[in-house]
Amino acid sequence: MSVHEPEKKIAIDAEYLAGRRFPYQEDVALVEDVDLEAATPGPDLNWLEDVELLEEDGVPAVFDRYSNSFLKIYFAIPEGRENELARKVLITHLRSGNSYGIQLKEKHAKFPQPKLGPWVAGSEAVGTDWQPPKLAGWEPPDH
Amino acid sequence: MGALAGERRITYDARGLAEPTADVPKISEIDGTGARFDAKDLSTRQINLELRWLLYEQGITDVTVLNPGAKHSLGVGILTRCRITFDGSLGYFGCGLIDGPEIRINGRVGWSACENMMSGVVVIHSNAGSLTAAAIRGGDVIVKGRVGARTGIDQKGGTVIVLGDAGSMTGFMMQRGRQILCGNVGPGLGDSMYDGTIYVAGKVKSLGIDCVPGEWNESDTELIERKFSVYELGTPPEFQKFVCGKKLYNYDNLEPSERKLVL
Repeated sequence: MSVHEPEKKIAIDAEYLAGRRFPYQEDVALVEDVDLEAATPGPDLNWLEDVELLEEDGVPAVFDRYSNSFLKIYFAIPEGRENELARKVLITHLRSGNSYGIQLKEKHAKFPQPKLGPWVAGSEAVGTDWQPPKLAGWEPPDH
Repeated sequence: MGALAGERRITYDARGLAEPTADVPKISEIDGTGARFDAKDLSTRQINLELRWLLYEQGITDVTVLNPGAKHSLGVGILTRCRITFDGSLGYFGCGLIDGPEIRINGRVGWSACENMMSGVVVIHSNAGSLTAAAIRGGDVIVKGRVGARTGIDQKGGTVIVLGDAGSMTGFMMQRGRQILCGNVGPGLGDSMYDGTIYVAGKVKSLGIDCVPGEWNESDTELIERKFSVYELGTPPEFQKFVCGKKLYNYDNLEPSERKLVL
């Protein structure tokens, strides 16, 4: 009988959660057109002011707080545009619905809310018919 | 049986905890993408249900709530881009857990306003209680009056602007973000802060543990001038800058999972 230790992974990135890499992680052309000020509330960058280019596993990455994971960036980042491109990749990720936190909404949202949050106008609602999970074979007591 | 009969008689709890028969009132006057309703005779849950019905199901992007009556927990959990105006004061935990809205409150707010805000703008036209902007992760909170104690406790991002005085332990355990305090500040400013920046224009009663004066640079000037400009706050006064001395805690010593908690 062989015994295996369960996989232990400390650094969880968006690719690990999704099981694949996304095109906008590799092609800067797919994020260049993002208007950051239009993508955020208020007249300036608002919450994106706190988003900066970081590093995960030695790779440039931006942190997606909605899934508590890093989104690695594989294209070459020109000097002086580090934070701008990190923010554009993150907004593209959130708008696409690929963020793991957004995917969890369909199953677990307990009250109606826009699936794509504040990033896409007119996003479909999720959480409209949430029911508490039931344990198979268990019935509530009479009293 | 007696207790059950008692529970059935409950129709309203001022804390919003027990309101078993709440339905969406659907009383708003809707005009295009704008709407307004009178909250005077509505409960906390009815007001929040009406807001969500308008914003999530009716395509409304601009809502005015008349007579909020300082009820607690109003405007919470709004997760879309929109404009909301509360024409009056709010009680405690107002506008918490929001992501995206731009909210204007024409009155005062109780404690813990805007707690856990992710993004958006909240402008409070009068005073705010203690724990304002607790644990916010992003967005701007502007208080045109004074604030109580522990403003921005556990703040993980975003910007808090206070035009008046701030109470004791302001910025307690602050981890990221910015506070711009135009008045005087009570004792214990920035106590046990991990990171972030606090700007103070008035007098500081005393600094908290590991909060030290910081070196002013061009990005500080740009931030102050930009925020005063976008919110039409006039000419900014002269500020002192305070930061973490890094003697008490340092992220380099933390586990990766702990580091993520403040990103």
